[in-house]
Amino acid sequence: MIRKLSETALMILFAASLTFAQDVNLPTGLSLSNQSKYSYDVNLDREIFENWLNADYRYGIFRAGVRFDVFQPNDPNPAVSRGKENFSGIDFTYFKVNFGKKKKGFDFTIGNFYSTFGRGMLVKIYEDRNVRVDNNLLGAKFYGRYGKFSFTAFSGTAANSQNVRKDILHAADLDFKLSRKIRIGASVASDKPFVASAARTSMFSGRTQIRLWNFDFYGEYALKQNQDVAEKVFDNSNRFVGKGIYGNLNFYYKTFSISSEVKYYDNFMFTSYDKTVIYNTPPSLTQDYSYILLNRHPHALNQNNEQGFQISFNYLFSKTLSFKGNYGKTKSLGVSSDYQKINGADVAERVLFDEAYFHLEKQFDNFIGVFAFGYSREMETSTKNYTPIIEMKYYLDDINTLRAVIEHQQVDVLSTNEYYYDDVFTFEWLRSPNLTFSLVGEMQTKEPEKSHYVRKVWGFFRVGYNILSNSEVSILVGTRQAGNICIGGVCRYEPEFSGVELKFMTRLF
Amino acid sequence: MKVFFSILFFAFVVNAQSLKLTKAPDFELDDISGNTYELADFLGEGPVLITFWATWCKPCMEDLPHYSEIYEKYKNQKMQMIAISEDSERSVAKVLPYVRANEYNFTVLLDPENEAARDYYVQVVPHTYLLNNKGEIVFSHSGYKKGDEIKVEQIIKKLLEKK
Repeated sequence: MIRKLSETALMILFAASLTFAQDVNLPTGLSLSNQSKYSYDVNLDREIFENWLNADYRYGIFRAGVRFDVFQPNDPNPAVSRGKENFSGIDFTYFKVNFGKKKKGFDFTIGNFYSTFGRGMLVKIYEDRNVRVDNNLLGAKFYGRYGKFSFTAFSGTAANSQNVRKDILHAADLDFKLSRKIRIGASVASDKPFVASAARTSMFSGRTQIRLWNFDFYGEYALKQNQDVAEKVFDNSNRFVGKGIYGNLNFYYKTFSISSEVKYYDNFMFTSYDKTVIYNTPPSLTQDYSYILLNRHPHALNQNNEQGFQISFNYLFSKTLSFKGNYGKTKSLGVSSDYQKINGADVAERVLFDEAYFHLEKQFDNFIGVFAFGYSREMETSTKNYTPIIEMKYYLDDINTLRAVIEHQQVDVLSTNEYYYDDVFTFEWLRSPNLTFSLVGEMQTKEPEKSHYVRKVWGFFRVGYNILSNSEVSILVGTRQAGNICIGGVCRYEPEFSGVELKFMTRLF
Repeated sequence: MKVFFSILFFAFVVNAQSLKLTKAPDFELDDISGNTYELADFLGEGPVLITFWATWCKPCMEDLPHYSEIYEKYKNQKMQMIAISEDSERSVAKVLPYVRANEYNFTVLLDPENEAARDYYVQVVPHTYLLNNKGEIVFSHSGYKKGDEIKVEQIIKKLLEKK
């Protein structure tokens, strides 16, 4: 342990000494970024080192870049490491050329690339390091625009859970701005399996976006086709074996706005043949939260078996008083769904997840107070969660802020009729523009027998510092309760941790 | 290996102090009304404040009102402001209502594929860049703390004086 901590200290010292050193310029057109994360878990005697180094070069109409990744070792969770347990090498390379202007022209990319059609119903090829998703494709991509039309087409292959690229994905998308108020689009995508005898899986969708007065509508309808499934399950009576529907209607008037969304995803997950690469991530209609306890019992999106809605609204009573809230419910599909037929199931629809949240914020002279309350029912973990939150922020002067957050959560475990409490206290001192100091404590209280309480405590402090204007460093020391990081229904579980965690981020242009 | 990469990382930090100004990466994005913009549309007249934000990001909700005030104060002197939303398909529906409800007048662009964010190496929102009228990056800042807007306004004033 002493050796590990010495290494960490050495890295910090090294940083401090080099920050004020020599004088070098990057060549024009070259830009670089580097993101590192190092953690050492004292209890498990385990270190994890992750690093992403991007280098991009621009010259006139040409662009090229590489990303060099290091995982020495990677996160032990195989869903995160995905075949890169101990890895260092170039993970992303591209060459791009751009002809023309914004109204008429095209881009052509070869190498690795990302792409999203519409709202991700058919294709969402993206990277998010927070949840460790990277389903980049290796191949060629064309993006052209001509007046009111824009067109994207690509062919590429994504790395599966063993970090091997097998299937080939072909996709195309056409977008047409009929007028300033109406926009339509259509997409098609097809996965060619690496097994020659297996049928392709193809997806088709049409979408429209309409803006009228203070209303804003978006709708997309998509279908999934697979000849093998159509033959085996539906005896060729169904041409399509899955579908997805997403609708969104917004209304805003002065300082009031309301947004409503609906979803229906029936056997709609679009994957590679081995099912380890997911190509689509349609809107999940669940809320992402910045408070710790509200992310403890999330609902992960299941594109195969979900229907539901979400309504959220905002109202600014004045410049210093605001209110926002949302309510959403997700249910499984009924017996008539393609998903149940394909899986030979006969299960009535049931609630998978519902959540409600409201947030009232009031600013006084140098003080901001927030009262929030969250409720959720998550059937995967079989819990009901009630979470009141109070946040206070006090501006000491123009650049110093104190922030305190008190979160309390009661968790009812529905399967056992047990319940327990979590309490989190966060205290922060923020000094603009560079320094952040946080102290976070958590206590979990269980009552296995009447009046017999079992308490568990975690606590850590974190210091963050912005070096110059392009680098950030943070160090965390202590213990942290297990939790989830969720973005758009895609969640990453972070196990309990005790030790030291260092993060570095820098970017140079 | 990790020591090697730490060295590499800090070598970047070293370079940061004395870099000559470089051009900001170009982008081509739609605004919330469906009009397409590229960076060049905002260059040539005054400083450009670019802030990457999202509707789910709490610090972004704090910095946008301050940057909006700065924009209202200096827009007659040709300062430009672009707020690039990093909302994904899940939350992009909330961008327009949020902007309308807050009566923001600056340009709001949508980056649902996070392409601009990748080009600007944005890993955390909010992230703010200040460009001079030639499109060169003169300042960048990650996160938001009360008082950051003071530094931003100071730099904008200097850029306007140089103009």
